[in-house]
Amino acid sequence: MAQQAEVPLQSLYEAHKKIYPREIGGRFTRLRMLSVVVLLGIYYIMPLVQWDGRQAILFDLPARKFYLFGLTLWPQDFIYLAALLILAGLSLFFFTALIGRVWCGYACPQTVWTEAYLWMERKIEGKRGSRMKLDKAPMSGAKFRTKLLKHTVWIAFSLWTGFTFVAYFTPIRELGNNLVTLSLGPWETFWILFYGFATYGNAGFMREQVCKYMCPYARFQSAMFDADTLIVAYHPERGEPRGSRRRGVEPQSVGLGDCIDCNVCVQVCPTGIDIRDGLQYECIACSACIDACDEIMDKMNYPRGLVRYTTENSAEGKKQHIVRPRILVYATILLTLCGLLLTNLAQRIPLDLDVIRDRNSLYRETRDGLIENVYTLKILNMDDQSHRYELRAEGIDGLRLQLDEPDIRVAAGSVAELVARIQADELNLEDRSVEVRFYLQALDANHLSVVEEARFVGPGRL
Amino acid sequence: MEEMKSISLTQQFISVLWPSFAMAIVASGVFFSAFDPRDLIPYNLDIDISPLAAYSIGFLLFWLLCILSSWGTLYFAISNCRLTARHNP
Ligand code: SF4
Ligand code: SF4
Repeated sequence: MAQQAEVPLQSLYEAHKKIYPREIGGRFTRLRMLSVVVLLGIYYIMPLVQWDGRQAILFDLPARKFYLFGLTLWPQDFIYLAALLILAGLSLFFFTALIGRVWCGYACPQTVWTEAYLWMERKIEGKRGSRMKLDKAPMSGAKFRTKLLKHTVWIAFSLWTGFTFVAYFTPIRELGNNLVTLSLGPWETFWILFYGFATYGNAGFMREQVCKYMCPYARFQSAMFDADTLIVAYHPERGEPRGSRRRGVEPQSVGLGDCIDCNVCVQVCPTGIDIRDGLQYECIACSACIDACDEIMDKMNYPRGLVRYTTENSAEGKKQHIVRPRILVYATILLTLCGLLLTNLAQRIPLDLDVIRDRNSLYRETRDGLIENVYTLKILNMDDQSHRYELRAEGIDGLRLQLDEPDIRVAAGSVAELVARIQADELNLEDRSVEVRFYLQALDANHLSVVEEARFVGPGRL
Repeated sequence: MEEMKSISLTQQFISVLWPSFAMAIVASGVFFSAFDPRDLIPYNLDIDISPLAAYSIGFLLFWLLCILSSWGTLYFAISNCRLTARHNP
């Protein structure tokens, strides 16, 4: 099984070599680990958080509602979700222009889960050297056991990940119950396995290849870069000519730069590149090489920062600009959209009225000689409380509105249907078809009111 | 096809499956926010299907459509490459 699992690596993208990132400590690594723990924590814990007696974040598929803490979004509110996604995309633009690929190095699910799977791999297979040795060694009982253990742990973690994913769509209590009583539905099982398998493959095997070959962001991020964007870079003037030397030797005395050519920066790189070759699109700006080189510099008693966070301009000794047109443009668009979304959300009226004219008959004449149209009204109360409403109609002089149920009550988060009849004198109808307006107003909340238009059809003037 | 071989099969699989997967998510999001799957099942068909099943099948159908489209693009891109190569040796 372990052997089989290794196969896709060779055949994936041409000339792929498995990368064994070397373990490393340091300030940026600590920051990255913190980010990994926090983000994974949010992902795994969030479905357990309750709010107002229900799950805080839940796509309730049967009820067609999306709960986001105190907010309940209906399919009609899809536009908010779309706006939210656009905002997320725009902030990615903004932050990329400002601080480069921090998203990649610190927050992308691909990075975060890869770090988690790497951590498990290290705990089980050991450090970089032992991992490489283990993979080279012929299959043996011990190797088989180590690999089996690793994949068992990976798969268990993947299944937990898949379970958590489905818990965003099926309440986790129900799901957990179904799991322990072995009564998971076929589609729940399918999605747990699907998401689990995707995580296992992406974080266990594909890793940096996802960034290199599958990530659209990695391909177009260069469009958001300029000479003032924060990047991870090597300092060639200081480092070159590189070469090994004993500790404590002054570089100038042997005619060398500060780089001791120890290759540690290459070994720690999760994408397997050499930062000394300059900025490359494979670099996810994880800053592992900064920590690695700083450690070496400390050992050699050289100043830190041979590999560092910098910008193209400051690396070339030019003036650095944080505020620049690109940043201003991105920031303006971002803030405007944010403002629009927030005001819209704040003004959102959790009430909707749908009016459908009876399709079976155009109109009918009542006993007192009035023209009558019949409508079906659908009242959607999207609020968290039930309400009573008053309905009015306008548009024709002296029209009469009749309801089959004059006391309109709609429970929280539900839809009520009622039949309304409008009667009007033929003499007051200016045309064969005139516009009427239905006004729905909640009796106990002033701001809850909507207007809906409909057509009233009569015989027409002869 | 020679050119087909120069791109590894896995690479072809991923470049068809992955973008279509992403587009299928967008398509199902838009589609299902407008339509409730319960309203889509004709009344005369007595199908009892859970919401999760309905949404899942919908998503998979979208994915299938997008796969066909992605695969078509890949196929034409590669076979056009081959044609150009034959005309301008
Ligand atoms: S070059 Fe450095 S910052 Fe870039 S991916 Fe490799 S280790 Fe991370
Ligand atoms: S870690 Fe620093 S000193 Fe070592 S090879 Fe890389 S740049 Fe040179």
